[in-house]
Amino acid sequence: MLRKSLDRKISRRKFLGTTAASGTALAAMGSGLSRVAYADSDTIKIGFLAPLTGPVAAWGKPGLDGCLIWADWVNAKGGVNVGGKSYNIEFVSYDNEYDAAKAKTGATKLIKEDGVKFIMMLGGDTWPGVEKIAEREGMLFSTLLPSDLSPDSTTLLAPCEVHPIYNVTGVEWLAENKPDLKTAVMCAQDDSLGKPSVATYLAAFEAAGIEMIDEPLFFDPTTTDFAPVMTKLMAGNPDILCLDTCYADYVHPLCEQAFQQGYKGQIISCTADFYQKIIEKTSAEFMEGFIFQFPDFDDPALNSEGVNFVNPNEFYAEYAKRYGASQWGAVSWEYASIMDLWADAASQAGSAEPAAVLEAMKAGGTGKHAFGTADWWGTELFGIDNALVGDWPVVVIEGGKATIKDFRSIPAWWDKHKDLMIKHMTALGQMWNQRS
Amino acid sequence: MDLLWQTAVNATYAASYMALIAVGLVMIFGVMGVINFAHGELYMVGAYCVVFLYAQETFPFLLAVAAGLVFVGFVGIFMERTMFRPLRDNPLGGLIASIGFLLILQTLAVFGFGRRMGHVPPSTQGKMEIFGAILTYQRLFVIVAAVLLLAALWAFLKRSKFGRALRACAQDAEAASLQGISMNQTARVAMFIGAALAGVAGALTAPLVNPTPYIGHSIIVTAFIIIIVGGVGSLEGAVIAAVIYAFVHTFVTTFFDGVIANIVGLALMLAVLVTRPTGLFGAKERA
Repeated sequence: MLRKSLDRKISRRKFLGTTAASGTALAAMGSGLSRVAYADSDTIKIGFLAPLTGPVAAWGKPGLDGCLIWADWVNAKGGVNVGGKSYNIEFVSYDNEYDAAKAKTGATKLIKEDGVKFIMMLGGDTWPGVEKIAEREGMLFSTLLPSDLSPDSTTLLAPCEVHPIYNVTGVEWLAENKPDLKTAVMCAQDDSLGKPSVATYLAAFEAAGIEMIDEPLFFDPTTTDFAPVMTKLMAGNPDILCLDTCYADYVHPLCEQAFQQGYKGQIISCTADFYQKIIEKTSAEFMEGFIFQFPDFDDPALNSEGVNFVNPNEFYAEYAKRYGASQWGAVSWEYASIMDLWADAASQAGSAEPAAVLEAMKAGGTGKHAFGTADWWGTELFGIDNALVGDWPVVVIEGGKATIKDFRSIPAWWDKHKDLMIKHMTALGQMWNQRS
Repeated sequence: MDLLWQTAVNATYAASYMALIAVGLVMIFGVMGVINFAHGELYMVGAYCVVFLYAQETFPFLLAVAAGLVFVGFVGIFMERTMFRPLRDNPLGGLIASIGFLLILQTLAVFGFGRRMGHVPPSTQGKMEIFGAILTYQRLFVIVAAVLLLAALWAFLKRSKFGRALRACAQDAEAASLQGISMNQTARVAMFIGAALAGVAGALTAPLVNPTPYIGHSIIVTAFIIIIVGGVGSLEGAVIAAVIYAFVHTFVTTFFDGVIANIVGLALMLAVLVTRPTGLFGAKERA
C-alpha cells in the first residue's frame, strides 16, 4: 500500500545502504561525559573511568557516588597526608559507557589533561582499550574484575572485588545449609563479565555436588524480553536458579519472569542491586532466601573487628541520605574501599606517584581488604599476584532485607578445589593465557 | 508440550509489540519517505510516560498508556514540522536529523529520569493458563492492544476518507496533491500515527522491560530487520514479518540460546534479501 514511496523519494537499495551506514555511525557516535576538575596544587586528582550511563551504569555510577562521600569525609578531616603535607582528594570522572574505545579516550584524557595519579575502573570489556596506555604511561589502575589481570599489566590491581571468584562462597554456603537442593541451571549475558562467572559457578556447583541439568544459557546483552530465557531455564524443573553475574537490568526482569512463570525454588546470583525494586515487582515471599554476595552496609555484621572498611554503617546512612537507600548497589562502597587502600599506601610511600603507591600497596604481600586482611594472590589464575583475596560475605534476603549470613574464605575454597576452577576457566577460555 | 505452548505464548507477546513498532516505522517511511532512526527513542519516550505518570505520579495504568500514545504522537508531529517538512526534498537529511533527535531524546530522558533503569511495578499480578502455559495479564494487555490498534489502523486506512488520502499520498504524492490532498496534513497524520504506535508499544511494555534511556537502540535494530524482511513500505509485510521474526527468535532462544537466536534473526534477513531482495511483501523497484 505504501510501497510506492520507494520509487518516489528513496530507493530500497539506498534505504538499506544508508540504514547500515547510519547504524554503524550511530554505534560509533557519542563520547563519555567528563567532569573536569580544576584543582589547586594541594589537591590530588583521582580518575574514575567507569560506565556512568548504559546498561552497566549500575556498576559505575553508585561507585562514583560512594567516592564523593569518601572524598567529602577525608577532605573534611584535612585530606590525605603524603610526604608530610595534606592533600585534598578530587575525583575526575569519565563515562566510558562500558565501551573499550571510549575507555581509551577517557584514560588518555585523565592522564594527559587532568593529571590524575590513579585511575579506578570497572574493567571487563573496557580494560582492553586501556591496557596499552597503562603499560606505556606506567599509570596505576584498579579494576573490580580480576579476570582483567595478566602478567603483561603490572600496574593493574584488583584490590577490592575478586569477581567472580568470591561467588564460590555463596554456593558453598548454600550446599551446607540447604543440602537437599541438588540440581541447578544458569544463565548469563554473553560477555567478559558473564563467562568467567559461569566458569566459577560451574566449579562451585561441581565442588558442592550440585548437578547442572542443562548447559549454561548465554543471552545477548541487548535482550529486553526475558520470558523465553526463563521458560528454557525452568523447563527442567531445577532446584536452583543461578543468575550468574547478570547486570541489574537483567536480574530484575529475570526474577520477575521466574515469579510470573511460577518458579518456587532457590535463586542464587552474584548481585541483587536495588533488590527492593525486585521485591516490589514480585513479592517478599518469592525473594525470601535469595542468595547473593553484596551486603547493605547498615548490616551490624560489618562492625566486627576484622572488617577494615571505615565506619560502614555511617557510610551507608550517608549514602542513603544523599541518594536514597534504594540506590545502594553492589559497587556503592567498593571504589571507596579501594581509595582507603590507596590513601594508606600513598601515606606510607610519601608520594602519590603511581610506582611508589603500587610498591607500598603490595609491600609484605598482604593488604587491608574491606572485609579483613587479605593476601596479594592470583598467579595460578591470573598469571600475577595482583588480586587482594581473603574473606567475602554471603548475603541472604530475609524478611525483605539483605542480611550477611557468613564470611567465607576464598583462599580456603581455592586450596581444596582449585583444579575444578582451572578446569572450567580453561574450558571457557578464561585463563589469563587464553585471553587475547 | 507445556514448553512449546509457553514458547508460543512468549512469541505471541513479542510479535505484538514488535508489530506495533514496525508498522509505525513503515507508516512514517511509506508516507514521508523518511528513515526515522529516532523510532526506538519514541518507544522509549512512551515507556517513560508510564514511568512518570503511573510509577511516579500513580495515575491509573491505562490512563498513563493513553497519555503515552497521545504524547508520543505529538512528539511525532513536532518532528514532522521542525525536521522532516523542511527536509522533505532531502530524505537523507531527514535521516540525519532523526539521528540527532534520537540523541536529544536520550539526553532529555537522562536529565529527567536519570541514567539507571526506570522501575515500573506491574499494573496487575494476575495471570491465566493456556494449555499449561502461563500468560500474565500484563502481557495479555499488550497482545490485545496490538490487535485492536492494528485493526483500527487497517479500518482507518481502508474505510475512511482520510485513510484513502493517506494511501494516495503514499502511492503518488504529486498526483494526490493535484487532487487537492494536502501533503502537509497527510504527513502530519502519518507521523502522529507512526510515532503513537511506537509510543504505545513502549508504554504498554514499560512494566515488562525496565526502561532505560538507551532501550531504543535494540528496538530500532529489531524494527529494521522486520521491515526489511517484510518489505520496506509494506504494512502487511511488517505485521507478518514481526510474527515470523518473533516466533523464530523466541523458539531459537528457548531451544538453543539467545546469542544463536540473534544470529538466526540476522540470517533470516540475509536469506530474504538474497532470495527476494524487495522483502516478502515489497514491490520491485522501477528500472
